[in-house]
Amino acid sequence: MAEGEDVDWELSKENIQPLRRGRAISALHQALSQQQDGPTSAINQQRQAFESELRMYDGDDPLHVWDCYVKWTEQTFLQGGRESNLATLLERAVTRFTEESMYHNDPRYVDLWIKFAENCPEPLEVYRYMQAKGIGLTQASFYIAWSEEYENQGNYRKADLVYQEGFKVHTEPSDKLSQFHKAFQARVSRQALLNMEKDSSDEESKQPERVSLAVLKHRGKKKAIAPVIRTGAAIKSVSGVLQSHGAPVLGNVSNSRLLVFDENKAEIAGPSEPRLESWAAPPTSRAKENEQRTEKWSDVKMPQKTTFGHKIMAPPPAKPTFQPFVEESDQPPTMTPCKIHPAVNTVLMARKPSKGDTPLKRLQDHQQQHKDAEAGKLQEQSMYCKELLLSGATEFCFEELRAERYFKKMSQEARGEDGQSSVSAVN
Amino acid sequence: MKEMTGSNEYKLNQGPEDGISAAKFSPSTAQFLLVSSWDCTVRLYDVGGNTMRMKYQHTAPVLDCAFYDPTHCWSGGLDSQLKTHDLNTDQDTIVGAHDAPIRCVEYCPEVNVMVTGSWDKSVRLWDPRTPCNAGTFTQPDKVYTLSVAGDRLIVGTAGRRVLVWDLRNMGYVQQRRESSLKYQTRCIRAFPNKQGYVLSSIEGRVAVEYLDPSQEVQKKKYAFKCHRLKEDGIEHVYPVNAISFHSIHNTFATGGSDGFVNIWDPFNKKRLCQFHRYPTSIASLAFSNDGTMLAIASSYMYEKGDISHPEDAIFIRQVTDAETKPKST
Repeated sequence: MAEGEDVDWELSKENIQPLRRGRAISALHQALSQQQDGPTSAINQQRQAFESELRMYDGDDPLHVWDCYVKWTEQTFLQGGRESNLATLLERAVTRFTEESMYHNDPRYVDLWIKFAENCPEPLEVYRYMQAKGIGLTQASFYIAWSEEYENQGNYRKADLVYQEGFKVHTEPSDKLSQFHKAFQARVSRQALLNMEKDSSDEESKQPERVSLAVLKHRGKKKAIAPVIRTGAAIKSVSGVLQSHGAPVLGNVSNSRLLVFDENKAEIAGPSEPRLESWAAPPTSRAKENEQRTEKWSDVKMPQKTTFGHKIMAPPPAKPTFQPFVEESDQPPTMTPCKIHPAVNTVLMARKPSKGDTPLKRLQDHQQQHKDAEAGKLQEQSMYCKELLLSGATEFCFEELRAERYFKKMSQEARGEDGQSSVSAVN
Repeated sequence: MKEMTGSNEYKLNQGPEDGISAAKFSPSTAQFLLVSSWDCTVRLYDVGGNTMRMKYQHTAPVLDCAFYDPTHCWSGGLDSQLKTHDLNTDQDTIVGAHDAPIRCVEYCPEVNVMVTGSWDKSVRLWDPRTPCNAGTFTQPDKVYTLSVAGDRLIVGTAGRRVLVWDLRNMGYVQQRRESSLKYQTRCIRAFPNKQGYVLSSIEGRVAVEYLDPSQEVQKKKYAFKCHRLKEDGIEHVYPVNAISFHSIHNTFATGGSDGFVNIWDPFNKKRLCQFHRYPTSIASLAFSNDGTMLAIASSYMYEKGDISHPEDAIFIRQVTDAETKPKST
């Protein structure tokens, strides 16, 4: 392999979203080169092909197309984000098959759910939902993902319970779950040990942070580097070394610190189970230095002395009598992007999703609608193939669907003709 | 020989053999009608004589066509190629291509430019005199419909987005909007008075919108339900596929997949009339320039999949002022 290629992705590492299962190096190269080319009609075409395949597929494994589509999206859009449309795609994919029990314990489908959950603001709810729906109950990966989520939130007891739940049923692959469980137990016990060592040393805040007001360490001619405390996920990713939350790594432990009063410290006592507290009154203000009491302004007079000793009012700043110099070439560009008047922006603004509108909520709504439709409760009925138009990550119109049918027919006819001509050639 | 389907309406002879994608009247006379079709042809009809005058082929179904002047027309479709055809000499020229099928073709007389919109998420401008490409402008999504209002271009894309461009200065998008309707945009047509546009959605709704972004004007915009039929207590909601404006009265006709054509008065928010039910979905509507005729393309659009359906047909209807003029009250 040429070295230049390696450098290529080496240089844009920070722009690549890490994937659980890693990335194929060939796909990475391709995606990177496509990215450099700017507007990518090739990607658009590929996506359109997947979209039409989703709709036109008439085999007995429709999940396969979705699975390929999701994998392709992950591999192609290195940075993730809105452009990739991955969140929508996952949502549609899991919604599409919630009623099809044949897929409920299909590893591919469970994988899609886990990816979907990781994209959700409330992954735990999604896992609970999966359990209620009976999705992934015999898949080890489901329990592992669920438990990891608890672990990330610092709830080890619940994390362990999830593993116990998994052991009750026979999961596949058979030893994967116990393997992960052992690793989990090892992590927890090491954690407990470290906590004991640390005994009553004060708890650090859970966010990664720079230590301020600490002495910077010099080593030889190297520049002093601000010490960083890494926490949470960042620690776990450090190979094998598992540290407790808030424990400083990277050899910054010995840095002497000035102790600064931290008003947040008291609040971070228990594990980070977020609790909403009701505030009876606004937080009391703390004593501040150099605080002046408010006084009535009109009573105060600021004495001002001139050289003659009278008191006068300050004159208003005079207008400059000269024209400020403006560079001649400093004309505003002729084609400035024109902002729509801010007062009316709301009129034209895109609808923002409302607060209660989470992916899981949408999913449940969709199912409710489905049920209603089956029960014939709906007052309205759309007189077109709605499901087909909306089933992918992007919508189709009638003409696109019809065009797909047309192209399919054409290619079939072409193949048919080829077959005939080859037959005649043989004859 | 006219096959009359009413005292003021008849069916065009020698109609296309497959679905009708668009029908457009000549800019100069109500005598000529241009029709593009899924049978890969574009046909020119002599409406008065009820005969087909000319037809030319694309290599794939044609999705839209437009007149440049009375003797030249432009068309594009699934073969992604843009063709211009000289109606005097019966010669076609391939002007250029998109990266994906061309969905819309329009002419802007104010700027003298042809506009095409495609599923490759772009709008391209074409100089009709040379003829050659005069620029490619990326849109946020696949272009489903577009319309020209004076020197402004209104583009409707997938994802319910609406973009307003200034054809004299395509350096930036003048306005980015979201459709005020909840479902997929089917058609956008600009008011002949250039002040706004009408947008129809796939779920039986039409919105009347204004281009001026000031709050006062924006307050006037509204939407209404239409093309819905109540059967057995269930409301059947049909896509609204076609809109055409009456150039003089600024009233407009809508056609839905229910097979009905309605004419609306947008100023008094009233329906002026409804014609009889046509055999199948209304795929395209076109008022003649003088506002005396309405071409109605009744053609199944595969809304409900590949099922048997009535024959595709174009009806020419003479319309009266009573049907198209706002009632002054």
